[in-house]
Amino acid sequence: MSGLERSLWYLGSIAVTALLVGLWQFVADHGGIPPVFLPGPDKAWDALMSGLASGPIAKVTLATLRRMIYGWVLASLAGVALGALIGSSRQARDYLGPTLEMIRPVPVSAFMPIVIAFLGLSGDMVLVVIALGAIWPVLLATVHGVSAVEPRLVELSRMLKLGRLAMLWKIALPNAQPDILAGARLGLTVSLVLTVVGEMLTSQNGLGYYVLLEGRAFHSANLFAGVILLGAIGLVSNLALQAAEARLLRWSRR
Amino acid sequence: MKTLKGALFPVAVLLLWEIGMRASGIQSDSLAPPSQIAVAFYEALFDGTVLDRTAQTLFVVICGLGIGGGLALVFSVLMGLVPAFARLMQFSIEVLRPVPPVALIPVAMLIFGFGFPMEITLCAFACFWPVAIYGHAAIANIEPQLLDVSRVLRLSPVARVFKIVLPAALPRYFVGFRLSAAVSLIIAVTVEITINPLGVGFELMKASQSLHPDRMFAMLLWIGVIGGGLNWALLFAQRRLFGRAGLAAAR
Amino acid sequence: MRGEAICRDHVSARLLAPFAPLVLMTGAAVAAEALIEFRQVSHRFGARPVLSDINLAVRPSEFVCMVGPSGCGKTTMLRMVAGLLRPEHGSVFYSGAPVTEPAHAVAFMFQDYSKALLPWRNAAGNVALALEASGVPRAARQPRIATLLEKVGLGGHAEQFPIQLSGGMQQRLQIARCLAQEPAVLLMDEPFGALDAMTRQSLQDELLRIIQASRTTALFVTHDLEEAIYLGDRVVALHPNPGRIAQIFEVTLPRPRNQLETREDPEFIRLRHEIFHFISAGAA
Repeated sequence: MSGLERSLWYLGSIAVTALLVGLWQFVADHGGIPPVFLPGPDKAWDALMSGLASGPIAKVTLATLRRMIYGWVLASLAGVALGALIGSSRQARDYLGPTLEMIRPVPVSAFMPIVIAFLGLSGDMVLVVIALGAIWPVLLATVHGVSAVEPRLVELSRMLKLGRLAMLWKIALPNAQPDILAGARLGLTVSLVLTVVGEMLTSQNGLGYYVLLEGRAFHSANLFAGVILLGAIGLVSNLALQAAEARLLRWSRR
Repeated sequence: MKTLKGALFPVAVLLLWEIGMRASGIQSDSLAPPSQIAVAFYEALFDGTVLDRTAQTLFVVICGLGIGGGLALVFSVLMGLVPAFARLMQFSIEVLRPVPPVALIPVAMLIFGFGFPMEITLCAFACFWPVAIYGHAAIANIEPQLLDVSRVLRLSPVARVFKIVLPAALPRYFVGFRLSAAVSLIIAVTVEITINPLGVGFELMKASQSLHPDRMFAMLLWIGVIGGGLNWALLFAQRRLFGRAGLAAAR
Repeated sequence: MRGEAICRDHVSARLLAPFAPLVLMTGAAVAAEALIEFRQVSHRFGARPVLSDINLAVRPSEFVCMVGPSGCGKTTMLRMVAGLLRPEHGSVFYSGAPVTEPAHAVAFMFQDYSKALLPWRNAAGNVALALEASGVPRAARQPRIATLLEKVGLGGHAEQFPIQLSGGMQQRLQIARCLAQEPAVLLMDEPFGALDAMTRQSLQDELLRIIQASRTTALFVTHDLEEAIYLGDRVVALHPNPGRIAQIFEVTLPRPRNQLETREDPEFIRLRHEIFHFISAGAA
């Protein structure tokens, strides 16, 4: 299929989405559902715009973003460092591997009540949980990538007499780059989810708590506005990482 | 030898934890010695409420999987067999997919209030995506010759779907279902921890807030067991249903 | 002992018979000058014997080719010189000392070049790796990389990644990286085996050109008999199961070699016949 055809189909799909939004509007206006449960897209949009301009939505969005990114960056750095250490040592992998595998299937949010028991309902607690949750995909990906280096490259590093640190930094970690980036992308998704849940649980200032409050107060337009924003954050952050990935990994495609 | 090595670390941690707490005599609201946790674990197992809660969570997981997965099945078959439909839905999918299901908690609360329907809806939403994506890929990658066979045999569209398309795509679908099941459990537990007063997540939160660390850790352990057990059961089913050929096709 | 080894070479014996005393003397001189030496090397992988009583001396600046069918242990021998593998029995010596680990002055060219290059670094970066390992300061690296890439004919491709380079170019990049080590010894494991005939021939000539200029000692493993004769000063023919040196042939063809003239030289053809029959007989 040519590029033009592909673009046309894509435009068509955008049109379909617009159609669905129109359907939403129609149902909201004429469908007999009270606006408290289903506000029309126009009301949601208004709430979004006015909220961003003068209301609290902008502030809470920033708070959520800050929390999500701090936690994610912390987790990714720690995950890469730990993963590199564990992945590069056959002994470490043997001793720690099964433990990591055991913790993996536990839903991350289940750790939240534990951390609450230790740190109480605070902003710190949320950050800790975000970091704990987002570290897993990066850690596991790094361990995998660092331990699976092409044997030829291992021999090359022996021939060049690279020290252990040099081998890790120049060969094992770059080799793990694709895995690490995929893990980081997953970690960002986890980070967003945990940020929202954390804010809801601890009533911390942020989009999570905002949508919870607006929902309780039956301000459905504001609620929808908040949800739309959260979806937008998810979408944009994912796209941004995909773009970064494409740039960093351009050595892997012709 | 390798399993021994792997077991060494957790055993050592548990021992240190136990000895540390017993020796120092600390009474904590957030930490309990492993022996106490084990006791609480067994008590919880034979205690009616925990089994009740587990049944609740599993009920939500299965309903969510059924509804979300079922809808995704139909949707993905349509997308696979009618490429135009897939192309036209692309933007909508790209916009809806990144919405974190937890963000929809207040919406579901608004519409359904506390209880089962709200949680099941959220799980269904989350379960939809893995099955839809894997399913679509499965159908789009069906050996073209099989479709030719259906044409030669002049099968009706319905018969084609049920006799050829679905059986061929089934292994990959199952992988999607397994992923959705894991997601469903995660969402269910998360919703229960956050706000919904039912299920094992709620029990975990209750133990934490009532300052019963032994029960809390026991619940955490139990949730881990459920997660692992669910995954294991599905893997077993996959191997049973599809055998080695199925596993290969599911790649 | 060395003199015996030389006299065992039927070819050299016939050619040099009148000069037998001289040969014996040269044999002793060889022992003293040998840069690389295998002394009674034997090795097995698990239960399978792979090398049996290998004795070989390689002089400085010599180009020695090793031929033989699969399973004759030629790659194993190469890896022992590289220090990647220790022989079960006997020793491999480099510069008079037993080889225990890789040496800076020994460079290895792998057969699967695409797996031996760093895919995430461009051509310049790949060459830089060897310089980094040698501790060359950052400022000095750039000009040396540029020179090396020019030398192997990749001057304009410094910014390209391995995936963008053809097979022949990737192998040339590997040569450049090996040369960056300023090696005294170049070990090559069927480096041109995966390339098409034309690329192979042009790389053969480039290799000879580079090696003659720097007077590097070379150990070259190949399946290709003609390639071995074309490139080498000596051809070591190995028999398989277990790998053992059957015969060492002296190649007295004039240098510089030429793809057309050398291959039509009667001596080339004679050697080709002789070694071919020798190898076939051994494989039977």
